[in-house]
Amino acid sequence: MAHTPRARRRTRWRGTAYVVPLSVFLLALFVAPLVRLLQLSFRPVDESNAALPGYTVHQYVRVFTEPFFYEALIRTLLTAVLVTVLCVVLAYPAAYTLAQRRPGLLRTLLFVTVLSPLLTSVVVRSYGWVVLLGANGPVNRAFVALGVLDQPAHLLTSYSAVVVSVTHVLLPFAIVPLTTALGGLDRDVLRASRVLGAGPVRTFARVTVPLSLPGALSGALVVFALAMGIYITPLLVGGANQPLAGIRVYDQISTVFDYPVAAALSFVLLLITVLCTTGLGAAFRTWEGRLHG
Amino acid sequence: MADTRRTARTPAWSTLFPDRLAPAAGRLLAALVFLFLLAPLVVLVASSFNTTASVAFPPQGFSTRWYRGVLSSPDWLVSFQLSGLLVVLVVPTVVLIGTLAAYGLTRGSFPGRGALHALALSPLMTPEIITALGLLYYFHGIGLIDTIPGLWLAHSLIALPYAVRAVMVSAAGLDPTLERAAASLGAGGVRVFLTVTLPLLRPGIVAGALLAAVTSLGEVAVTALVAGAHTTTVPLRVFSSAQFELDPSVAAVSTVLLAASVVVMVVTDKFAKISEAL
Repeated sequence: MAHTPRARRRTRWRGTAYVVPLSVFLLALFVAPLVRLLQLSFRPVDESNAALPGYTVHQYVRVFTEPFFYEALIRTLLTAVLVTVLCVVLAYPAAYTLAQRRPGLLRTLLFVTVLSPLLTSVVVRSYGWVVLLGANGPVNRAFVALGVLDQPAHLLTSYSAVVVSVTHVLLPFAIVPLTTALGGLDRDVLRASRVLGAGPVRTFARVTVPLSLPGALSGALVVFALAMGIYITPLLVGGANQPLAGIRVYDQISTVFDYPVAAALSFVLLLITVLCTTGLGAAFRTWEGRLHG
Repeated sequence: MADTRRTARTPAWSTLFPDRLAPAAGRLLAALVFLFLLAPLVVLVASSFNTTASVAFPPQGFSTRWYRGVLSSPDWLVSFQLSGLLVVLVVPTVVLIGTLAAYGLTRGSFPGRGALHALALSPLMTPEIITALGLLYYFHGIGLIDTIPGLWLAHSLIALPYAVRAVMVSAAGLDPTLERAAASLGAGGVRVFLTVTLPLLRPGIVAGALLAAVTSLGEVAVTALVAGAHTTTVPLRVFSSAQFELDPSVAAVSTVLLAASVVVMVVTDKFAKISEAL
């Protein structure tokens, strides 16, 4: 029975019906908009920045030759790398604590703490930083009281404020997979390391970290991709003048109405993001393969 | 490890960082990270109860005037209704598509399954400005800018990967023998799915539904581009207020949104391990 052509065909396509709605939805609302956007990025524009028929690479030439655009891309890439590193480094102590705690009230509270930024509107989180870093905010007051600053500084529109707030917004995406990875570690391996004479620091650095790298990496990839395109938080905390690609795109469509160049800038950003994440993923798999091979 | 010399050598930093201090230092670091995560939210909640007209921390006095102001403002109320309506539309859409897809992706075997899986999660991994600009231009062409259907579809797209992932966790732990047992006892395919599979997927479905609700309730990156004067959601109104002024009523609205998320999260935790879904 199972070897009739019809049954074989059914096995080959088993479960297809379940994914039809998803496929239709994604084709209509994710793939189609991106294809249209790609098309738009090759359109010439008239004096009022309206797209004209025909095709040109003019928008891409602008993105790669005008410092306004390419410097923003470089700054965005550096910022995303910095934020990703900060997120992974900060995620370790938090995830380690979460993974070690037995279920109970404290663990639930800690988990709510980790997830609360993730489940809160990005606007709300950014607004919190606006209050914290304001001229009269607690951070400024503490700095003045401690003598670090003579008078309140303009923390709000600074690049550091952008890095701090974006790190805050994206940190849960690093903590959650890392907690899962650390929670799944074989305790016997850790105990073996201790029995063989490695102290807690060495066990952490030479056993815990390498074994939890897959979790750290999957968090890092999400954080990096999101950091490349984030624009609400840097806009609210750093202002519209921050040289970041997300803000530049938003700026082009909300003030200059130059959609084709915004589309071109977006696609270069997407290309860099995809190249970096797949490159990092491939490098990691090679490393892992060599480790076990 | 191949390199035994490096393993045998005592690293320089272990003298800088003695082992007996490590657990305490780790706990201190963890406490600082948790403080960092909470600080902006605490400041926001505290300043929403301020008596003065400025957003100040620590707050001077205690009053609920900003909450009363928000509740008596027609603009805010319209936004709250719109955000509520969107949750009601988005959650069933996302749960239906996401549950079917997660089941098909986990248990099915068909050509292109891996590619479809990657595609299903890609809205989560796409820089937000690109999704937002793509939908803006696309919706312009089909007249969905500043409409409720437009926001419904946009929010569903953003929330879908979370739901697919959440249900896939449950689907991966599903025992196929239970379905086979039901089938061998005479239940048809649809009946097996509805009476055996769906109840077993429930933890993932609940987690997915609540993640979808929270995502829709807080979405602003895409909303800011596809919404308009007639479809200003609560987060979008917060965004436009926060750009120009520091009004404590924005802190009050943010606190309401925050409280809604925490309630949703605590409820979710009762039904499903939301942590595994992410």
